Amino acid sequence: MRNVTTLLASLGLAASLFSAPVLAQEDGAVPQTDFPREETLIVHNPEPAATNPSMFNLWVAGGGGNVSNGLQQLMMDTLWYIDPDAGLDGAIYNSLASDLWQYNDDFTEMTVNLREGITWSDGEPFTADDVVFTVETQMANPGLAWSAILSENVESVEAVDDHTVHFTLSQPNARFHSIFSVRWNALWIMPEHVFAEVEDPLSYDFNEPVGLGPYTLHSFDPNGFWYIWEKRDDWENTTVAQYGEPGPQYVIYRSIPAIDNRLIDMVNGDLDMIHDLTPEGMFSLVEQSETSRGWFPGFPYAHPDPTLPMLIFNTQNELFSDKRVRWALALMLDARQISMASYRGAATLSAIAIPPTGTHPADYHAPMEEWLVNYELDLGNGETIQPYNPNTGAEIADMVRPQFEDVPTDEAAIKTAFGYGWWKQDIEAATALLESAGFTKQGNQWMTPDGAPFAFTLKTFEEGVINRMGTMVAQQWSQQGVQVTPEVAPQIFGQDLPLGEYEVATAWSIETWGGHPDLSFFLDSWHSDFVVEPGERQPSRNWQRWEHPELDALIERMRVTEFDSEDNLQIGREFVELMVEEMPVIPVMSYNVFSAYDTRYWTGFPTAEENPYANIVTNWANSRYILTQLEPAGAE
Amino acid sequence: MPSFILFAFKRFLQLAAVIFAGTSLAFVVAKLSPISPVETIIGRVTNRASMSPTAIQSLRETYTELFGLDIPLWQQYLNFWGRLFTGDFGPSLVAYPTPAIDLILLALPWTVGLLTVAVILTWIIGNLLGGLAGYYQNSRLLKAVGVVAIGIQPIPYYIVAFLMVIIFGYLWPVLPISGGFAMNVRPGFTPQFVLSILHHAILPASSLVLVGMGTWFFGMRALVSNIVTEDYVTYAELAGVEQRKIVSSYVMRNAIVPQLTALAMALGGIFSGTIITEQVFAYPGLGTLLIRAVNGGDTTLVLAVSCISVIAVATAIFIVDLLHPFLDPRVRVG
Repeated sequence: MRNVTTLLASLGLAASLFSAPVLAQEDGAVPQTDFPREETLIVHNPEPAATNPSMFNLWVAGGGGNVSNGLQQLMMDTLWYIDPDAGLDGAIYNSLASDLWQYNDDFTEMTVNLREGITWSDGEPFTADDVVFTVETQMANPGLAWSAILSENVESVEAVDDHTVHFTLSQPNARFHSIFSVRWNALWIMPEHVFAEVEDPLSYDFNEPVGLGPYTLHSFDPNGFWYIWEKRDDWENTTVAQYGEPGPQYVIYRSIPAIDNRLIDMVNGDLDMIHDLTPEGMFSLVEQSETSRGWFPGFPYAHPDPTLPMLIFNTQNELFSDKRVRWALALMLDARQISMASYRGAATLSAIAIPPTGTHPADYHAPMEEWLVNYELDLGNGETIQPYNPNTGAEIADMVRPQFEDVPTDEAAIKTAFGYGWWKQDIEAATALLESAGFTKQGNQWMTPDGAPFAFTLKTFEEGVINRMGTMVAQQWSQQGVQVTPEVAPQIFGQDLPLGEYEVATAWSIETWGGHPDLSFFLDSWHSDFVVEPGERQPSRNWQRWEHPELDALIERMRVTEFDSEDNLQIGREFVELMVEEMPVIPVMSYNVFSAYDTRYWTGFPTAEENPYANIVTNWANSRYILTQLEPAGAE
Repeated sequence: MPSFILFAFKRFLQLAAVIFAGTSLAFVVAKLSPISPVETIIGRVTNRASMSPTAIQSLRETYTELFGLDIPLWQQYLNFWGRLFTGDFGPSLVAYPTPAIDLILLALPWTVGLLTVAVILTWIIGNLLGGLAGYYQNSRLLKAVGVVAIGIQPIPYYIVAFLMVIIFGYLWPVLPISGGFAMNVRPGFTPQFVLSILHHAILPASSLVLVGMGTWFFGMRALVSNIVTEDYVTYAELAGVEQRKIVSSYVMRNAIVPQLTALAMALGGIFSGTIITEQVFAYPGLGTLLIRAVNGGDTTLVLAVSCISVIAVATAIFIVDLLHPFLDPRVRVG
């Protein structure tokens, strides 16, 4: 035994010696700290351990460093933040900007007033020169992530004075400010005094990072599994100070690949916030830990992200070029079964092309419900139907009520949690639509107008709720006589969707701000100017490669319509109507993230029922505002 | 002695040929990947903002040139060999422009540290118990060990690892279930750091030992079962040679030679990492790096890990071949 102990000890020593050259970078720089729990918030970072752990230059697209390890949440800052939920004082935060964007009449110029008294983490003052430097550096280095979009839009940028920046745009664009508005991330402002000394910004690792956020880097795992951030002594010189002092002295972001380990760590009190679990993981967590919960206090627990999982048709494929075929496929589906299969009933459905999350239900789903109920679909045989069922959400609530406690009974709460309604499964109507499109049925097999079996593959995620959704949809279509083969696509967003290498896919081409009715975040990219020929790479996000003159007209109107205006909301509603009419994608539900948090050590997290001031999904840069609301649990 | 030098020279030529063929094959396989590193990066960039096709085309050209993919494949192959001779695999494409070797050197110590411990412990325990079980065939205790080994061996590794996480992380939370060392320990040449590494290695190493032990156990038991029936063992027993000496010098020594060869190959194989162990225990290592390189279409990194693995396995076999005549006097090299 003694020999074994000696062997273990010597091998351990050998490993530490081996690691020494790598770890030496930390040596001498990091004081020994015990991170008392009442001062430390421990957060799960959904990214895998960083490939290149000491890379902090997040302006480089492929540097191999992590970004949601606290770097973008705690150290970076930019002009505005748009919250996917209600926000602390409205969804739009003026961050480094002291007020909203100011365009000239034809949206070819934008002026920004900057906040005064803000300093970088090394004490240097933040000025308009930093903003100008950021834009010019991006434009001058084509390998940087924001280079192409700025080069396309910016003719010139200048610092009018220390706290005013003026942009001259190369084309009218009422949404130019989006580049500097955080929705998950945005173009972060670079410290001129650091990067001006750097010869090649593409290869610079930015270790130690200098930022405008309220925390600085304390230490990090040389293997990239964890990053520790410490509150700045001068946090009052940062933009979050207007909402209060961030509670935790230390914040630790940990990559935890196995879901079971996340669950165990939270139950053991070693983790305060989890980015995501499986539905089953969440059910198990709340059973075993009295202090843990999700966005909703009970079922369905998950936070609806402003992302819309859907069935995407490749409209350049002849099979799906006819809207009657797309509508027929929609009417073959039973949304209740899809909800049960994918989320065990915890899905928030949306029949319209808007995620049912944040402020969208109030802007779109509720006011448009009457239009949906009355909507008449022409079946092509002289008949029409009213396909919308406003009670689908309530029906799912009834289905899960016997199994779970705390399923809401109030109509408004049911709509918030399970969605408003969805399309009725109507096989007769689907049959009529397919027949009017020239399809025929032989036995239980639909045949295309060319006489070939109606068959295609459905590409879906490798695992998780979207994979389960894809499998259920394929099953339902197959039962109705359409030969559908589900196929997993590990690189669905990197390869299959952009290259058009799919027939139908489960993914999403609609992501919104969430906290604001403006749809430009995804809609601008849907213009037909961006649609490429088959075989070429489609720029995100119009993966369906769908073109329509009315769509182009809406987008062109939006480009010259004020962001925060009633006209803009009207454009959004007209877009929804066009999408229902044409059905180029079948919207299904919001991307519900089973985020969890534990109140054993910290309180003040946002909740769906009382104070939905922020998205609890930990990798969003917007989550920094949560820290200003946290207090040690013992302080109460 | 001259015959041994000739033998060693021939084996060296074989080693060079195997490394050349292996690395060339790795180059071809890596280049056949349908995942394009340029398209992966473009996907990441364009997800952040709307971009016109012309802007995307300009991005594509920029990255293709940066990654050195704008030249013919044969030229890339020659460049690869040119760099390899200087120990430089080129820049990683998922962590551009960090050299691939730097990323490997970050992960390698953890893989080597964990797997060397696990492989050697597995080998010692498995062979010792297997050898004893083969010799003392009537021992109830050793029969019980055999039953346990038979029971554990067919269980998929990830289930054993998962059970250990549940048992020692949740039901009886006494061991860390993730990471290479504690967050509050400062890396350096200190007892705290070494102990923290050992503490964090207990679960992953034990899981590997538990699952890997059976193979060595059964192999050794079978070898020893054959050897105990050999005439020289029977004569030794009849001659009254001490039983302990028979087991160690007559039986085990003869049975151990093929096991040593297998050990060398197992040690060579550790350079490809253990993906499941790293995932379950959030343990740093080469396996995760390799997976990320494959998924990101990082041909440089895939090639670098593959080459190191090919060279390690081939060299291990080469060394065993050279040592064989010394370990087993029956081997002739002429």
